[in-house]
Amino acid sequence: MSWKLWSLKKSPWVFHVNTGACNNCDIEVVNCLTPKFDVERFGIKLVGTPRHADALLVTGVVTRQAAPRLIRAYQQTPKPCVVFAIGACACNLGIFRKGYHVVGPVDKILREVDPNAIIAYVPGCPPKPEAMISGVIKALGAI
Amino acid sequence: MNDQELRDEIEKMSNKLIAIEQPLRNRYFLSCESQNAHDVCRFLFEDVRARFVIATAIDSDDCYEILYHFAYDELGTIIHIKAHIRDRENPSIESIAPFLPGAEWIEREIHDVMGIVFVNHPRLERLILADDWPDGVYPLRKEAKR
Ligand code: SF4
Repeated sequence: MSWKLWSLKKSPWVFHVNTGACNNCDIEVVNCLTPKFDVERFGIKLVGTPRHADALLVTGVVTRQAAPRLIRAYQQTPKPCVVFAIGACACNLGIFRKGYHVVGPVDKILREVDPNAIIAYVPGCPPKPEAMISGVIKALGAI
Repeated sequence: MNDQELRDEIEKMSNKLIAIEQPLRNRYFLSCESQNAHDVCRFLFEDVRARFVIATAIDSDDCYEILYHFAYDELGTIIHIKAHIRDRENPSIESIAPFLPGAEWIEREIHDVMGIVFVNHPRLERLILADDWPDGVYPLRKEAKR
């Protein structure tokens, strides 16, 4: 294992990107950091810029306004990085499927710029914090 | 003010209204033409001292409707004003934002998605549509393509 991958798995720092969520997924992401779930004990830490991050937590459908910004955040994240599509919307549009402002789910937008992007899916509306933690652990085990 | 006094106040405006409906003790629907809506809202806000909650717009069969929702909290009464905009080609209505700043953003939003022009609005610019959204395409109108 390369040292880059080892350090990513040892303590993944995450950056939270809201591309058009209803805010409920975001509340659950924040919930993961509260003392009850306390993901910092696994070395998972929320950081303020994608340039410090190993993983992106993307919530919500990608709206027309947010798509270029999501791509920019992804391009600024050091590789290798894992993208977590959190919630039914980010995975496959969910209840916003027919909205006029929607351009696509997270994987479609990111695969357009990087066909080899590592994307993990955590479905649920919103997913429970336990589901997110188990998603992170499964994804890290897979790479 | 009690229920009867509120009803009397509302009836003072009856020359500007098409209909006054009161399906429940604490609920009024006041229909009016678009050119009278500004005066009716002003009367409710400044004289009756009702609180502005929100406005909504509907693309109806033969007209656009703007619904202004007011609450009279002392009695728990909700008053809806239905303004009918008959001109479907160039829909416009007088803005209530000059005397009611809380209505500024919702009027901008309605202008974005329904294309209704609010005359005398202090700043009728794009609020919620994407920056690259084409001008003149109103996504929540009935004729909008899905
Ligand atoms: S998946 Fe559900 S909770 Fe999450 S952003 Fe979509 S609608 Fe909101």
